[in-house]
Amino acid sequence: MDVKTNKVRPRRHNQEMLPTSLMLLPSTLLLIVCSIYPFVWIFRYVCYNYNGFTATYTGTKNLERLVKDKQFWQSVGTTFEYAGLKLLFIIPLALLLAVMLHMRMKGHNLQRGILFMPTVIATSISGMIFAFIFATQNGILNAILQNLHLIKTPVKWLTSTDYVMAAVTILAVWGGLGNYMLYFITGLDGVSEDCYESAKIDGANGFKTFFFVTLPMLAPVLKTVLMLAITSAFKDYEAIMVLSKGGPGNRSMVMFLYIYNTIFGTANSSTQPQIGYGALLSVAAALIVGCVTVIYLFVSRKLDHITE
Amino acid sequence: MNQSHAVYSKQARLVRALIWLLVSFFCVLMVFPILYIILGSFKTNQELLVGGTSLLPSTWVLDNYTQAWKQANFATYTLNSIFLALGVMALSVLTSTMTGYVFSRKDFRGKKLLYSLFIAFMFINVGSISLRPLFELAVALKLNKSLFSVIFISAGTGQATYIFLAKGFTDSLPRELDEAARIDGCSFFQIYRLIIAPLLKPVIATIALLSFRQGWNEYILPLVFTMTNDKMRPLTVGVNMLKNAGDGTAAWNIMFAGATIAIVPMLLVYAFFSRYFMGGMASGAVKG
Repeated sequence: MDVKTNKVRPRRHNQEMLPTSLMLLPSTLLLIVCSIYPFVWIFRYVCYNYNGFTATYTGTKNLERLVKDKQFWQSVGTTFEYAGLKLLFIIPLALLLAVMLHMRMKGHNLQRGILFMPTVIATSISGMIFAFIFATQNGILNAILQNLHLIKTPVKWLTSTDYVMAAVTILAVWGGLGNYMLYFITGLDGVSEDCYESAKIDGANGFKTFFFVTLPMLAPVLKTVLMLAITSAFKDYEAIMVLSKGGPGNRSMVMFLYIYNTIFGTANSSTQPQIGYGALLSVAAALIVGCVTVIYLFVSRKLDHITE
Repeated sequence: MNQSHAVYSKQARLVRALIWLLVSFFCVLMVFPILYIILGSFKTNQELLVGGTSLLPSTWVLDNYTQAWKQANFATYTLNSIFLALGVMALSVLTSTMTGYVFSRKDFRGKKLLYSLFIAFMFINVGSISLRPLFELAVALKLNKSLFSVIFISAGTGQATYIFLAKGFTDSLPRELDEAARIDGCSFFQIYRLIIAPLLKPVIATIALLSFRQGWNEYILPLVFTMTNDKMRPLTVGVNMLKNAGDGTAAWNIMFAGATIAIVPMLLVYAFFSRYFMGGMASGAVKG
């Protein structure tokens, strides 16, 4: 700012402290209550056995249990599997659709609107819709596949350990594709037309243009989108909770769902909530997500140096 | 559209046609589950339980809706969902525009710290455990008997993104406006209320829609807070409770109707305001 406002500021500063703080109060209060307080609260109970009524100090027992908790580490593995599968399909598909929509053919606005539509639906409801679609006996997917003679007997999408991850991935891709597609379209809008123009003059075909012009120009956007995609894929559990409940036999149990079940119990079991242990698991899970993020940032920075 | 005048060779035209068909095929795949659930809600339970490949009902019935409305408490769930979504929307718009304005126009001690705290807690995510202390707090404050606690928490966990949107937009408004208003005798708050807030309309629309969607689609938070209280459940929780309620396949028709009630209002809002939805998502990504 210029000199004049600088001179006046000290006086105004004092005068307007009250309205300024009053205007900041609601959001700051929400931040403290909804984010900071729970975060601090967790650390109070990591060394306790707490069932919601009584808390007893157990020292390092929770930690020992965590190390030996096969089910938890299995769920960590499943989380990586789920995130890998989701990213493997959603990122290339989203990029492909974005590039195709960017050609601005007839009705591209409507097409974009339709492709984005699933993202406005609650994940809990879409999980339920897909539970109907994937139903073994009367589900519409099996009926269609049988009609097309692609399968002979109904596929047990949700009740067989072989197929449940495929079902979960299909739902994840369906629910998230529109978001990532939109990010890529925004990125493509930012690429200058001149680049395409000169590529055309140099005689590049569609594929060459994509790999030597579009992709490098999109690199910064791609990096951000990948980062978003990775962190959100590791945190997903709402849709899985509704679609398969982590089953069959924990095959689709991701870590945040396992943690939810530890803290709040599953709908049909009478096990006591284990909040202290759940708190420790949450810290572990947050650290795992943090590590993955840091590794990703490190790798993507390294790649930057190479391409430069 | 602006390429419609371009001249393409025969081969290029064929490629473009194929690409157009491919995109349309994806559109069909994306819209299929939505059509399936909406059209399915007019089928008889008999037809749903037999299955088959037909999207359209063989006989159209409205009975599923009257059943859901009367027997399964969906009137209450719907009202709760509306209340929850509107509450989150109002609170989010209010806090984010005020905070965005202050962050954009004021320097004060601890501004950087506060700002980085908002950012930090956007990324620190400990999952569902944070609902436990918040639930205990709500019980202690006797707030667990209404959906207000759910509204506060939903708005609180989602506000950071909206604050950045509002701050970014306020930054783009010329400061000369503030100066002029100040000369005319406006106070700091009056500048916000009379000058800035009206100019924020586009970003307010975006924040309102995104936070409305957030409130309407909230699931695990109200699930935990309404564990023992059926009267407080929004649609997302109510419909899924029906699915878990034991006899499984029996009430497919009511669940189809319930799921339709839960998604159609959101789809209508989207149909009318899709521009703001997509604009908001895009600008959020670019800045984040």
